[in-house]
Amino acid sequence: MPSPLREYALSIVAAAACTAACFALSSVLTLTDLVMVYLVGALVVAVRGRRGPALLAALLAVLAFDFFFVPPRYTFHVEHPQYVVTFVVMFGVVFLINHLALRIRSQAEAAQRTEIVAASEKLRSSLLSAVSHELRSPLTAILGSATTLLHGRKEDAGLIENIRDEAERLSRLVHNLIETTRLESGAVLKKEPHSLEEVVGTALERCEKQLAGRRVEADLPENLPLVPLDPILMELVFVNLLENAVLHAPKASIEISARERMDFIEISFADDGPGLKSEDTERVFEKFYRASAAPGGAGLGLAICKAVIEAHGGTIKAENLPTGGAVFRLTLPRGKA
Amino acid sequence: MSERSEVVLVVDDERAIQRFLRPSLEEAGYTVLEASTGKSALELAVAKKPAVVLLDLTLPDMDGLDVLKRLREWSSAPVIVVSARGEESDKIAGLDQGADDYLIKPFGVDELLARIRVALRHAERAARDPEPLYEHGELKIDLTARRVWVAKKEVRLSPLQYNLLVALVRNAGRVVAQKQLLKELWPEGGSTPEALRILVHQTRHRIEKEPVRPRHLKTEPAVGYRLEAPDE
Repeated sequence: MPSPLREYALSIVAAAACTAACFALSSVLTLTDLVMVYLVGALVVAVRGRRGPALLAALLAVLAFDFFFVPPRYTFHVEHPQYVVTFVVMFGVVFLINHLALRIRSQAEAAQRTEIVAASEKLRSSLLSAVSHELRSPLTAILGSATTLLHGRKEDAGLIENIRDEAERLSRLVHNLIETTRLESGAVLKKEPHSLEEVVGTALERCEKQLAGRRVEADLPENLPLVPLDPILMELVFVNLLENAVLHAPKASIEISARERMDFIEISFADDGPGLKSEDTERVFEKFYRASAAPGGAGLGLAICKAVIEAHGGTIKAENLPTGGAVFRLTLPRGKA
Repeated sequence: MSERSEVVLVVDDERAIQRFLRPSLEEAGYTVLEASTGKSALELAVAKKPAVVLLDLTLPDMDGLDVLKRLREWSSAPVIVVSARGEESDKIAGLDQGADDYLIKPFGVDELLARIRVALRHAERAARDPEPLYEHGELKIDLTARRVWVAKKEVRLSPLQYNLLVALVRNAGRVVAQKQLLKELWPEGGSTPEALRILVHQTRHRIEKEPVRPRHLKTEPAVGYRLEAPDE
């Protein structure tokens, strides 16, 4: 709703404008027509919704009409009682219109609220279906492997490994989900100046097993300044980018680099895998979007990256390298020196 | 097989966790005691004086942190806090209340056994004089001579960098909270977590071959730092 002060000012402006219009038209219009001009002015204010300014506009319209046009002119004295009726009707109409405007507005707001609730319900149910699918497949694998082992005659290392790997996958998914809900519930970032090298380091350590046997190079200048960031969430971003590369660029080597720019730090995660399809470069950050037919992944990882980076006031985009392979470029604003 | 047979008290109300912990710990040579409530944990701790306590923070009858506080009133046995909550504030609160270390569910058996070994060794060492020599991989620190070597080459460190290593060596294998490091390195105060992070960064560039993949000086995100336990 517009600010009350402006609305009161508008009431005065409306009355003044109507008066000016009535003076210009007084030679061609009768007194009853001039009432209509004033009424229009007051209604303009009334439909905007605030009660006080609407009543002020009505009062000013009545007073101005009375003072300038009702005989005897230029006094507030009223000769014929019929004009008193006119005044009351003007007031009544303005009040009624204003009341209706207020009601419509509150109904519109309620409708909007319902819409937001419905949208978040929809998001929640799509989250639930994506997640329950992602939970079910590893659970099935674990359950199946364990049952087979229980009934089996011999110990099968493959099945045991299967249980461990799938449990780890579940664990990653749960971690991502927890952080997503934390972000979406509007949790505050615990942003403090941190060494990027340290955060990249903890992410690399967390992904150690998945990255085994793959060349991963990290080229971070030693004198890079500390960057204001939430270390837990930023580690999650880096882990998700690394896991994304593991998932979509099997065997590819990964290169992490960072550079200092004017007022931000640029970080890039590049691989020499198959690269992204052109339509994917835009869509990979959408929630539940899963590029290509790669197995695993709930389409959450990159959406989280985007949410975290944007919460830091930075940007993230996906591109293909001219030499082939995908690159994710992030920027993070650097702190005050 | 039980040449050690130190007593480990496992406090957790999840049967599934108890079921896998008991055989893993027994195979490693420990005697296992189980408690599923805070009350029974405290009673068992008094009666049996365990060498290590594994304490889950979510218990049916009381807050795990309160159990820790009550335990610390009379016992100095190392306590490893186990939590599924994973909140950094939990870890810091646990360390503040006198926990030796913490583990976040899900954790692996190897990791658990390593933490127990470190906690026991630390408790044992705290009882006598500290080892004057720390060796882990290529890193060697001589606390009496105040000298540091990496791959047999001596490394020159600033006094502050050296003090950081000393503070971590004293707790080798255990996480040292950021707050504690700040207090130890700048006892007169006036320093900031940023200064500590820069100090760690610089020290890593002196003692680590690949500072982005530290082998010795590890980060515990949002909690503190850990110098790996010395080689056996």
